[in-house]
Amino acid sequence: MIGNDIVDLNKSALNWQRPGFQEKVFSKDELNLISISKNPKFTVSLLWGMKEAAYKVYVQQYKKRSFNPSKLNCVLFESNNGLVKIENQTYQISSTITKDYIYSVASTKTLNVYKSEIFKLEDESYLAQSESIRHLFFESFSIDYGFNLKHLYLKKSSLGIPELFYRTTKLPLQISLTHCGNYAGYVYSR
Amino acid sequence: MEKREIIAKLKAIVEPYIQDEEAFKDLSEDTDFVRDLKINSANLVDVILDVEDAFDIRIENDEMERMLSVKAALKIVNSKLEAK
Repeated sequence: MIGNDIVDLNKSALNWQRPGFQEKVFSKDELNLISISKNPKFTVSLLWGMKEAAYKVYVQQYKKRSFNPSKLNCVLFESNNGLVKIENQTYQISSTITKDYIYSVASTKTLNVYKSEIFKLEDESYLAQSESIRHLFFESFSIDYGFNLKHLYLKKSSLGIPELFYRTTKLPLQISLTHCGNYAGYVYSR
Repeated sequence: MEKREIIAKLKAIVEPYIQDEEAFKDLSEDTDFVRDLKINSANLVDVILDVEDAFDIRIENDEMERMLSVKAALKIVNSKLEAK
C-alpha cells in the first residue's frame, strides 16, 4: 500500500511555533530531534510529511480514520530516508527534498514499484488544486496504461481514500494525491 | 453549557480554516471537519488548540484521536466541562 504527502516549505499551514502545537504532533524523541535541529522548521516539515504519508497507508490498512500524529513515530536514517512506526506496523518513507518543498512517499515493505510525480501549480485554491492534480494523474495514467482519459474518474471512499474508476469499473490500483501551497504530487501502484 | 452554545462556539473556531463554504453554512452535529469542511490536517491541530483555549480545557492526544467531527468534539468538550 502507498501514501504520499507534500509540504510547501514557503506556504504550509503548519503553525509549528504556536505554543502547544508541537506537543500535539510529535513524540518525545521527535521533540528532541527538533530542539537540536539547526533548521527546526525544516525538521518539523519533514517529520510532519512523513507522518501524513504514513497515515494514508495506515488508514487503508485499518479502515479507520483517526487524528493523532504523535502516535506515528518517525525514525530517520537520513533526511530523505526513514521509517514511520505505529502500533506494530512499520512503513518505509522515501522523501524528495528541495529548497521549496518536501515530498514523502510511504509504503508497506512488500511493495516494490510505484510511479510518483511532483508538479508546481500556480492556482492555490483548494478546489483548483484538487482538480489539477487529478487531471495530471489521469493524463499520466492514461498514457501508461492505454486508457481513454475521458472515462477515468476518482471517487473518495468514506475513509477519504481515492479510488480509480474506468467507466463503471473500479481499477485495482492504489492511488494517493497530495497538494500544499504551490506544489502537488500523485503516486500510484498496482 | 448548552449544546447549541457549544456548537456555535465550535462553528466560530473552525471558520478560519474551512475550505468548503457550502458545508460550513450547513454545519451541524454530523459535519466532519476533514470530509465536509476540508480542513487540512495542519489546521486541525489549530482547531484543537483553539478549542482548548476557548473552553479552557486540556485535550490529551489520545482523546484528540477521535475529534474528526462536530459530534465528536461536542462529546469531548462536554465531558471535559462536566469534569471541571
